Amino acid sequence: MAKAGIKIIVCIKQVIAGDQVKIDPATHSLVRSPEFSRINPSDLFALNMAAQIKKEYSGSVTAVTMGPEISEEVLWEALAIGADRAILLSDRRFASSDTLATSYVLGMGVRKIGRFDLILCGMRTADGDTGQVGPQLAEELDIPHVTGVEKLEKKKNLYRVERSSDVFREVLEVPAPALFTISSKMTIRLPSLIEIQDAHTRYTIERWNLEDLNADRAKVGSNGSCTSVEELITVKQEKSCVFIEGDSRQQAKLLFSKLIEKNLLF
Amino acid sequence: MARQFAKAELAPIAKEIDEEGRFPWEAVEKMGPLNFFGMQAPRQYGGAEMDSISYCLVIEEISRVCAAIGLAVAVHNSVVVYPISQFGNDEQKKKFLPPLAAGEKIGAFCLTEPNAGSDAMAIESTAISNGDSYVVNANKIFVTNGGVADILIIFASVNPNDVKKGFSAIVVERGTPGFEVGLLENNCGVRANPVTSIVLTDCRVPKANLLSREGDGFRVAMAGLDTGRIGIAAQAVGIGQGALDVSLKYAKERIQFRVPLARHQAIQMMLADMGTVVEAARLLTLQAAYIRDQGGELSGPSAMAKLFAARTASKVASMGVQIHGGYGYSKEYPIERYFRDARATEIYEGTNEIQQIVIARELLKRGED
Repeated sequence: MAKAGIKIIVCIKQVIAGDQVKIDPATHSLVRSPEFSRINPSDLFALNMAAQIKKEYSGSVTAVTMGPEISEEVLWEALAIGADRAILLSDRRFASSDTLATSYVLGMGVRKIGRFDLILCGMRTADGDTGQVGPQLAEELDIPHVTGVEKLEKKKNLYRVERSSDVFREVLEVPAPALFTISSKMTIRLPSLIEIQDAHTRYTIERWNLEDLNADRAKVGSNGSCTSVEELITVKQEKSCVFIEGDSRQQAKLLFSKLIEKNLLF
Repeated sequence: MARQFAKAELAPIAKEIDEEGRFPWEAVEKMGPLNFFGMQAPRQYGGAEMDSISYCLVIEEISRVCAAIGLAVAVHNSVVVYPISQFGNDEQKKKFLPPLAAGEKIGAFCLTEPNAGSDAMAIESTAISNGDSYVVNANKIFVTNGGVADILIIFASVNPNDVKKGFSAIVVERGTPGFEVGLLENNCGVRANPVTSIVLTDCRVPKANLLSREGDGFRVAMAGLDTGRIGIAAQAVGIGQGALDVSLKYAKERIQFRVPLARHQAIQMMLADMGTVVEAARLLTLQAAYIRDQGGELSGPSAMAKLFAARTASKVASMGVQIHGGYGYSKEYPIERYFRDARATEIYEGTNEIQQIVIARELLKRGED
């Protein structure tokens, strides 16, 4: 064995800051600009969980992302948070991949990395918001997965994880290798200035393209996608202000009738 | 990270701590582990030993949201941590730097006196040799971080007959008998920073606390201030950027003549000018930071950056008030805080006029081509 401890792979994504999302009307794809590039917020929970596991049980954390060059930024962030290896899966031919093709590319990346114990992902992305890539990647690799994991503990050869639904908590035991998507309920820690500096001085980012992954060209990009975005419409939420006049009794009455009228009170 | 921290932890309290004139320990305690107080300290003493460009970017991001904390961090790093790192002996560094770098202790720099400020050589503070101690008598005013500082660099003369020859930098710890924190200044801006007077009366300070040599205090002060001016320039850029941020937001929200303010050309012109000068101030500041990292002659570039950035912050904040109209003059909107905070940057760490003297001196020193 190369290195003792738990070998973790964390899959992350670069997204556009929430209020800066712009869509290219011609291609229907997102306009990415470096200034508003962010790590997908829910991936921070996966990275923090990975850093915690590494601290507790020792091991290694490899951060992987698929995307254009600009995605490099989120890998530096991952290295500051606790990853010790970062890989950018980047190739023009990966462009326009849907979740299925993305899962395939990530899967090929994982295969190239080799032996691992856990793959951690965020629950969903802030842009696509499908929540599909985690489970699809597990299917691609034919390993078990659990979504929305809140707590994780190693029990001999099994991982004991907790997730909650609306009415009950589930405790599951899963054999490794396994994939977990991590709930956004835990608290996350900001990396310190020293950790950010060290990320840049200690590590480099590895870049793998289609050939490096030995991937099938027919399974990536739009060729490998079974869904395509037909249209993206920006939804404008109109807000208007209505002033309710009169003394407080009249105002309350009017407000009450307006709420009833709009079906906001039952 | 600095931006995230400022947004999450400082933005929600910036207005309140300004109004209350309160130093927010609850936020400052969180800043220690993130290394904000050790940016200018070497790694071996727990610091981040950051390059000056990164340092400026961090100060800018903090000040963009809260100028008072930006000031606390800039002063702590530039004129306390850095001079101790640079001029302290191993023992002094071992003793003072780790708690400063961790943010467990806050630093302050005490130069200004009732009769000395821009004219540093007019100080009346004395440090008289007595065995292995100095007996220090000093009345220092306008001490940034004064109310919360534990480790202070005091400038006093060891030779009362010749202030220039005796001008020395001595580290004094709060709690030393004879050390007293005086009145809190009721300042117009940067109110969350406890600017106070510091009074030392027959205060015995070990000679081991002397930085560099007796009579070398001016060099210590100037090295600190050259770095300090870059820090304050970055703070001013942050204030200018913050004033621009809130003005842009307001201009998009406020409807006048049936369209948002931002649709009026007069407002657009103001915004364009504001954005341009902030960017220019930022580049001048980062250039000075770059020169510092390259080990170049710093006095001129840091004075230019500080002068221009301070004027920019004031001008941009003032234009921001104008864009806000009546609301800009009210405490309801944050722009009035930026307006008050910006004004201080034209005064502390060397007034505009002192920067002009430094700049002119540097220009005149150069030979003709």
